[in-house]
Amino acid sequence: MSASQSAVRSRAEAVQVSRTFDWMILFTLFTAVLGGYHIHYMLTGGDWDFWTDWKDRRLWVTVAPIVSITFPAAVQACLWWRYRLPVGATLSVVALMIGEWINRYMNFWGWTYFPVNICFPSNLLPGAIVLDVVLMLGNSMTLTAVIGGLAYGLLFYPGNWPVIAPLHVPVEYNGMMMTLADLQGYHYVRTGTPEYIRMVEKGTLRTFGKDVAPVSAFFSGFVSIIIYFLWHFFGRWFAKTDFIADDAS
Amino acid sequence: MKIIKDKVAKLSFVALLVAMATAMFYAPAASAHGEKSQAAFMRMRTIHWFDLNWSKEEVAVNETMTISGKFLVFAGWPETVDKPEVSFLNVGIPGPVFIRAGSWIGGQLVPRSVSLELGEVYEFKVLLKARRPGDWHVHSMMNVQGGGPIIGPGKWVTVTGSMSQFVNPVTTLTGQTINLENYALDNVYFWHAVWFAIAFAWLLFWIKRPLFVPRHIAVSTGKADSLISAGDKKVGMLFGVGTMVIVAASMASTNEKYPVTTPLQAGLLRGMKTYQMPESTVSVKVDDATYRVPGRAMQMTLTVTNNGDSAIRLGEFNTAGVRFLDPAVHEDDTNYPDDLLAEEGLTVSDNSPLAPGETRTIEVTASDAAWEVYRLADLIYDPDSRFAGLLFFWDANGNRQLVTVDAPLIPTFI
Repeated sequence: MSASQSAVRSRAEAVQVSRTFDWMILFTLFTAVLGGYHIHYMLTGGDWDFWTDWKDRRLWVTVAPIVSITFPAAVQACLWWRYRLPVGATLSVVALMIGEWINRYMNFWGWTYFPVNICFPSNLLPGAIVLDVVLMLGNSMTLTAVIGGLAYGLLFYPGNWPVIAPLHVPVEYNGMMMTLADLQGYHYVRTGTPEYIRMVEKGTLRTFGKDVAPVSAFFSGFVSIIIYFLWHFFGRWFAKTDFIADDAS
Repeated sequence: MKIIKDKVAKLSFVALLVAMATAMFYAPAASAHGEKSQAAFMRMRTIHWFDLNWSKEEVAVNETMTISGKFLVFAGWPETVDKPEVSFLNVGIPGPVFIRAGSWIGGQLVPRSVSLELGEVYEFKVLLKARRPGDWHVHSMMNVQGGGPIIGPGKWVTVTGSMSQFVNPVTTLTGQTINLENYALDNVYFWHAVWFAIAFAWLLFWIKRPLFVPRHIAVSTGKADSLISAGDKKVGMLFGVGTMVIVAASMASTNEKYPVTTPLQAGLLRGMKTYQMPESTVSVKVDDATYRVPGRAMQMTLTVTNNGDSAIRLGEFNTAGVRFLDPAVHEDDTNYPDDLLAEEGLTVSDNSPLAPGETRTIEVTASDAAWEVYRLADLIYDPDSRFAGLLFFWDANGNRQLVTVDAPLIPTFI
């Protein structure tokens, strides 16, 4: 067979090869995103995502969406503009959360015995699904950044509230009031994570009283818009094929 | 020659594989905390732990034990370490093998960070509840913001039983008694499973159809719009709206189920109650201090003045948790860890009772393998080669006085 001849001999064979190729690419993309996104999120979101006593109504709400909208935006850029596939955000977040669950279960619980109910990952899936849907319906990076990015920030706290609310029930402990999440952090000793490292409930949003979470979520949404633009461009740049000879794009 | 080279290369590769495979079979548990690796000056000149007591050496799962004692926040705190203005009383254990059921400084519960004053002594207690069986090195520890963990002496404690029997009952302010060990775990799994199911459904809807090659060809040939059908958009709308409805409904139902919730609690506790040691009537001046590397011994020349009304003798030198005792004056009865106790490690040139009003210059030698074992000898490589520690003097009635010393240390290598 010469180089100019086709590798397949029929349409059925071509379809079969194409599907095999699909699964190979999907598997590779999935594991690459899982690894890269996981490292990125652990380095930037880190303890806010590790521990329940970091999941507060100000900083966790603000930080987690901002630092996690990155890979979804970049993968969307590649999959949408190259293949019209509106799954970039969901695929990224599913990969991240599978990686996180493996890590939390195998390492945090399996190796160091932290109960899973103190170290489960944040839920980023509702925002990711909406991000994909907005891109598909709008076919616009700007619209996805503005509407989808804002929604990504806004949906984060309510999307996680059913999971963390039971841990925000108050308890009186030796004369002090704290939440069950605080008590988890106190009980389950983290030698390398002293209490003062915790960045929770810090900030100046004091005039909003107890309703600070929606304000934090809006702020997070606004910054997520900017981060979306930035990483969407990263994704587009990385999805270029200039390095392939004779490629028009 | 080439054959020999090839053989060497092949054998080297095989040896490397064998070494790696062997290494995999030897993975001992990390049961201590690298306390010996911490810079010696950090351990000698920051927090001085003394009068330590571990209430038990063996506990069953669910049983409790305490570490109690005192610590002096050294007045000569090194310039290279941030002051303990934000500190946290911790314990050095390999993960949550115990839970910290309580910790107190001066009788005040300290689940949060505290501010400590230089030169003050504090009394502390940590209540631990055994959770995981094994032999664990249990340390007192103070984390200092900007300074890092300052680990105190450690003692081996054996936990017996089974971790599956461990329970952590807590009664909330809403009157519910829960087991914090697995509380709300089903809820965590449930909601994550729900969202994973929705996300997988969305992914499956797209990846069940031909993906990369045909879609790329379509996009490249200007037929991208044909790839998203009206049906696709309807399904997308369904997922988008459905997601928002589920989020809103689950939040509302959660608020109904948990009407009383509070924010995480945080803050710094100031004004911790200090422990008043008896006023010292002994003054000590360090004339010189040397560390003899080959002999693993530190020698100090001290000028001691007794300004009290009873004769005193030097019985102990304590630095970095290592206690050097003169058994003629003081013997340990607290079951202090053997490796940190030099029961006959303190030699004094003239340790006869120092009468009231008398001043005497004495040669004090603190010698023990602990200098090497605990890497305190590495002090000579520190950026600020000063030593520090606590001297304890006793009178005939057993009354104790504490004096701190802090001076340059000169190493001698011959």
